[in-house]
Order: sequence, then C-alpha cells, then structure tokens
Amino acid sequence: MQLKISKSTYRSILKSLISVALALVVTSVLFILTGANPVLAYYYMFVGAFGNFSLTVETLVRMTPILLVSLGLAVSFKCKVWNIGAEGQLYMGAMVGTIAAVSLGNTPVTLLISIALCILAGMAWAGIPALMKTHLGINEVITTFLMNYVAIYFVQWLIAFPFRSPDTLFPESAQLPAAAILPIMVPSTRLHLGVLIAIFLAIPLVYLLMMRSTFGYKLKAVGENPEAARYGGINIKRTMLMALVISGALAGLAGFFEVSGIQFRMRGSLSPGYGYTGIVVALLGQSNPIGVAISSIFIAAIYNGAFEVSRVLNQPQGIVDFIQGVLIIFVLSSESIMRFLEKKGVIKL
Amino acid sequence: MPLPFIFSTGIEEGLSKQASFSGGSEIDHLSDYALYVRGISKTFSNGVVANNDVTFGIIKGEVHALLGENGAGKTTLMKILSGCLKPDRGEIYVNGVKTRISDPRKAVQLGIGMVHQHFTLIPTFTVAENIALVSSSSRKLELKAVEDKVRHVSKSLNFEINPNTRIEELPVGARQKVEILRLLCQDVSILILDEPTSVLTPLEVEDFFRIIRQLKNDGKSVIIITHKVKEALSISDRITIMRGGKTILTIPSSQTNASELASYVVEGFIPNLKRVPTARGEPTLSVKGLFIKGDRGEMAVKGLDLSVHSGEIVGLAGVTGNGQKELVEALTGLRKVEGGSISLKTCDLANKPPNFVINSGISYIPEDRMRRGVILGMTISENLALKRIDKEPYSKKMLIDKEALDKSAKELISIFGIKASDPCATAGSLSGGNIQKLIVARELTNAPNIVIAEQPTAGLDVKASEAVHQKLLDLKSKGAAILLISADLDEIMKLSDRVLIVFGGKIVGEFSSDSLDMEKLSKLMLGSE
Repeated sequence: MQLKISKSTYRSILKSLISVALALVVTSVLFILTGANPVLAYYYMFVGAFGNFSLTVETLVRMTPILLVSLGLAVSFKCKVWNIGAEGQLYMGAMVGTIAAVSLGNTPVTLLISIALCILAGMAWAGIPALMKTHLGINEVITTFLMNYVAIYFVQWLIAFPFRSPDTLFPESAQLPAAAILPIMVPSTRLHLGVLIAIFLAIPLVYLLMMRSTFGYKLKAVGENPEAARYGGINIKRTMLMALVISGALAGLAGFFEVSGIQFRMRGSLSPGYGYTGIVVALLGQSNPIGVAISSIFIAAIYNGAFEVSRVLNQPQGIVDFIQGVLIIFVLSSESIMRFLEKKGVIKL
Repeated sequence: MPLPFIFSTGIEEGLSKQASFSGGSEIDHLSDYALYVRGISKTFSNGVVANNDVTFGIIKGEVHALLGENGAGKTTLMKILSGCLKPDRGEIYVNGVKTRISDPRKAVQLGIGMVHQHFTLIPTFTVAENIALVSSSSRKLELKAVEDKVRHVSKSLNFEINPNTRIEELPVGARQKVEILRLLCQDVSILILDEPTSVLTPLEVEDFFRIIRQLKNDGKSVIIITHKVKEALSISDRITIMRGGKTILTIPSSQTNASELASYVVEGFIPNLKRVPTARGEPTLSVKGLFIKGDRGEMAVKGLDLSVHSGEIVGLAGVTGNGQKELVEALTGLRKVEGGSISLKTCDLANKPPNFVINSGISYIPEDRMRRGVILGMTISENLALKRIDKEPYSKKMLIDKEALDKSAKELISIFGIKASDPCATAGSLSGGNIQKLIVARELTNAPNIVIAEQPTAGLDVKASEAVHQKLLDLKSKGAAILLISADLDEIMKLSDRVLIVFGGKIVGEFSSDSLDMEKLSKLMLGSE
C-alpha cells in the first residue's frame, strides 16, 4: 500500500502535536511550582512507562480499556454525537459480563457468552440516550453524562447486595470462574488476550468501519452537514443511533476486559475514569482510528509514568488528571492556535 | 495628480476609449474618487491568482457595476475593499487619502460596507437585534434607539419593515434590505453588493433597483458585483469589466451596449443552445390536491395540482415564499405532506423518505447549495457519490471502492468542466460556481426520470449557465420530466414548454411557451388577478 499523507492530514497531526507540547509546557510550570525539575519529571515519566519490558507491557495493559473506549467514542464523535457516557456504559458492560460469567460457571462457552453480553449491555445503556436523542430530540450530552451516575451507583448496589461475594468483607462480586478469565499471553506478565484483541482486532475493525465502509461515509456526512446528508438520502437518525450504540458496545467490552483480564471481580473502583479519559483521547486523535490508537498509548504512558514520578520525585498522583485537563483545553483550542500560527507565518503548509 | 480614466487595458478598443475619456473628463483627480485602488494583487494559499495588478475607482454618488464571469476576481477585490481579505500588494485611497483596511470594522469606520452573496444575519434575532449587534457603540444594548433608527432609515428609502420581526420569518428579498439597512445604520457611504439580484424575483429586482437609485440620490456610492450584462446596463452609471483577475476596462453605461460588454466579459462567447424537438410523452409526475405545512405550522401549499410529462420542461414561476420551497421539499421527501397525492407514474411518493425518492430516479438541484447541496468538509469525489454511495460501483458489500469513486469523479469533473485540482480535494476548496457545477454534475448524470431544478443557474457565469441549460434540454429530449423553479423569468421562458404560476400555495395560471402574456403573468404572480 502506498502511504500518501495529504496536506490536511499533516495539518491534523501537527495540530495534535502542538496541543500535546503546550500541555506538557503548562504541566512543567506545575512541576516547577511544586519544586520538581520538569525535565527530570518527564524523564521519570518515560522510564515509568517504557523503562523495561514489564513496564512497557503494563503500559499496554493500561492502554487497553482506554483504547477500546476511545475507538468507540471516535465513531460517535465523527458524526458529532457527543457520548459523554462511556464510563457508565463501561460499568454496565463489566457488571453484566460478570453476572453472566459467575452464573454460567466453568463451561467452554462462558467467556464467549460473557463477552457477547457485556457488549450488548454497553449497547443497551448507550441505546437509551440514543433513542431519546433521535425520537424525542433530547440532547445526548446531558443524558449520557447523567446516566453515568445511574450506572455507577446501580452497579455499586448490585455488588453490595444481590451479587455480593459471600467470601469477602468488601462490596464486590464473586470471583470469576476460571473459564471466564482472559488467558495470559506472556507468562509472568499481565498481558492478557484482551490487549491483543484491542490492538489487532479492534483497531483494524474500527479503521475499516470508519475509513472504508459506507457507514463511515455516512458518519462523516452526518457529522459535517446533516441537512445535506438527509438530502442525499442518508437516514441521519439511524446513523446517529448506530454511532452511539457502537461506542457503547466498545465501552462495555472495555469494562468486562478489565474484570476478566485484571481484577477478576467486579468492584466499585473498576475504572479510574477511563470513560472520561477516552473523551480526551478521541479528541486528541481527532476521531481518526490511527490517531486514537497513538493517543491511547500516550495517555496510558502518562498514567503509568505518573506513578514513577510520584514515587521518585514525591509528586502528587493528581498530575494525571491535571495533564488530561490541560490537554483537553489545548485540543479544543488547537484549531484557533493553528490558525494563529499560520497567520503569523510560524507554520507554513 | 491627474489619473487616466481607464485603467490597465489590454484591448485595442479599450485604448481608443481611454483616449476619448481622459481628455474631456472632469473626473481626473484622486480626491474625486470616494474610493480608489491601484496595483492590487492577491494570490491565495492554494496558488490561485485572484487579483493581478488591479486598478479600480468609484466616484462619489455613482452606481458602479463590476462585471465579470465567476472566478474573474470580482468578489476577491471587493472583499479586499471591505477588509475581509488582505491584499498582497497595492494601494488603497479613501477620499484621496492613502489608507490600509485591516478588517471589516476598519472598513466600516472608513464608510465602506459590503453585503455578501450569502447573507450574514442571525436568523433567530430580530431585525433590530441584528443591527444593534454591529452598530451599537456603547456597551449597553439600546434596542429602542436602534428600532427608531431602523424605522427612520427604512422610511427614507420608502420601504416598510417592522424592526421586531425575526429574520427567519422574512423572505429573501426583505433580508437583503435588512443587510443594506444594517450598513446604512452604521453610516456607510460606499455600499458593495455581491450578486444582489441572484436571489430576487423580477418584481423584487424592480424594488431593489428603486432603492439603489434612492441611495444614489442620497449621495451614496454603490458598487454592484454582477455577471449579468443587462443588469449592469440598467442600473449603473459606469461599468468596470474584470476578466482573469484583471480589470479590462471602465466605461460609462450610456456609451456601450449588451453585445459589446458580453464580448469583453467572455472572450468570443456565442450563445448556442441546441434544441431537439421532442414529443411530449405520458405524465410522469402528477401532484393532486397537495397540502403542505410551512416552517411556522401554517398551510403553505393549499390544494396544489400539477403534472409534468416526460419530454417536457415545466417552469414554475412565482414570487418567493408562495409555497415553492415546501412543494419542492415534499416532492423530494424532505417535508411531510398533510394531504393529497404525489405520484411518479403509478408509484406513490407522498411521505416517502428521501432515499426512496432518490431510488425512484428523482434528481434535485437545491437552491440552498451550501447548506443542502454539498458537504464542504468532504472530498469532491465523495460529494459526487453522495446519493449513490450504497450502490455499485461506488461500494460493494458496504465497503467503498475508492478507485471507482475517484474514476467517476474525474470523468464528471472533465465533462462538466469543474475547476478542481484533484478529486480528493475538499469541496470547500471550490469556488461557489464550481460547487454548483458539482451539484449539477451529480444530479444530471445517471439518466433521471424527473429533475427538480431549483434556481439551477443562480450565480453561474454565462458559459456555465448555458452548459446547465443544454444538459437540461438534452435530458428532456431523452424523455426526462423536468420541473424548473426559478426566480429568473428569462430562464423560465427560455427553457420551459409550459409555465405554471404559483401564488398562495396554489397554481393560479398556466401558459404554453408560445402564448406567453407577460403582463397577465406578472399580475398572476402578484395575485392581483
């Protein structure tokens, strides 16, 4: 295949790189204020993420839920449907998958059925706001966001009462049966099958869907100009509904992979906000599957690198959230920044 | 400093005229010009040279037409004068004083304002709110004062407008007046109007010309950008012709004629429409007792009947806002039908989704091309495949065949003469005229049964308009049924076999092309008969 990078692609890449650079500069100021050397801090961050083989694997493990969520959100954002509810969809997927796995016990189909059901659960949880948007005209930003709280507290109730493990003191589900655990691919690491599925199956499939299929075309048409899309015979309601449901499916899958690859039980603290991190990643990757994949590994590296920074330099863990927050501001303003730089002649394309 | 009256001519006739004017003219001092520019050049980042060493001047209190084809550089020059674009080179003098126009605000301070081809009013705001938005000098919103000013200024121009009407409720002609009002409320003395009549009906054009004359009497200078020779002759005092980014010559309207001007605008253009006599066939599209609601829930179409036969072009004439928009949207599946029937041969089309209508072989060239006809952020080849993306050869088993897309795009680009560097460039990189060519190319290929053409040549240059007309006539001779909705009566009369007049959501009259009574037609359009 011939790789041809068009001017607009080049510009998009540059836009994301500028956002990242600016976010890191602002974070440097924070490091200086808290008495740390920013160069050293970023060095430790890199070492913490990619310092050796097992740290690199850990970064990939961390990347998996972020990647799955953000690939889904890229689909939704492409047609300008703003799904803020991946966190809730992730929890619902994880919960339903866990219940299925625990109820089925050790059968040869446990894992497959659990995966199928976690996907369906994510789809259903995203389907509710999707239908509310297409049939009642209710803004999806509000519904998806608020449904996160419904999902998280509902799951906490489920693991505190009906599905509470009989053998522990904490509110958590019973341990998954062995047949529902994702196999480890590299011995003595946590590199489970889900990591490989995310990288080698989810990325190509979403790429095919968004960049090569007629559905991807329709997503883009609806996102760019819904009136022209309708005139062109595209069913815009169905396209928006599908986009939201697909993002829910991937979020649900991300949730169950965390249970069956990492935690082995459903817990209230399953996700440190992957559903929200996915928003940052999808925006930074500009809803392009390849861009999203690269952004996922970057954000995962910041997550894991921050542990090292806080350990060695005695910095707060909260820098992860700080960087994400700053990043979102710069990503959202990157178009204006780019135009400013072009106007001043700093960047010439 | 004396200045020659005619600028940068490359034509011999032009040179001889230059000699005859500059001698006897009393207007040869810089200070006589309200606005004078020279040596203006502008090259866009995509390499297009839009203006090349342009010199142009407008005298105080004159109406000046800037005449030229699409892409001749007229709009670019005017955008430079109104501060929307910055020139690469060149000097600008306002009332004889050299100046720089950094942005539209500065232009307005200098007394220069522009009404763009695509209006810039906020539809959900009222007239007064829209005007207050730009003219309010203090931080406090003084809506009352603005309303008074609107009433005062509109009265001086002899037209009625309620400052508290929301823009979206106004017809296009009135919106244009609001745009002009907005400039006048900012005390603009040089008004630049970009293709002002392209959206107006003949009656509205008359009214519009009346306002232009009124402005002139009030001492304002008016620049009208147009590609219509007749229009330039009828309204302006002087005409400047642009071609290929250069001003070819400036000439008083009284000293020229239409054919001379046309030969300057397009080198060597000879109108040459080929008509193949076609027998009228069976009725293809029939509409009976149609009722459709408008945007505000009122009944906009009230029991409308019409039929279009195969091998026939039916022109629908009428003042904008008499149900044409609603009718077209219902025919194309974009608007709900409340009552009555729409049928294509024996197939029922009422309340079917757009996709069903498209698959029945109905093509639609929409009036609002930017909002409806094209997706600016997608590529030219993607846009050309918009209605057929689910079909072979564009896609197989839900996967797009990009090569097939580009191949068919390249064919259409050459057949329809779309000026595009690459089928993979975004549609947004095309000029307005080329976007219309793209839409026409998409809609008129693949042998449609019915073509609904809504203002198909609005804003197109002479050659491009004729190409569209020829294509419509060709389709007709192949047995297509064509419904032409146009505010341009010349266009309707030129092409139609039958003319229907719509008023108040009903067909109120019908003429065959050989027995057209213009006076009766005008009265019917106004509903006074």
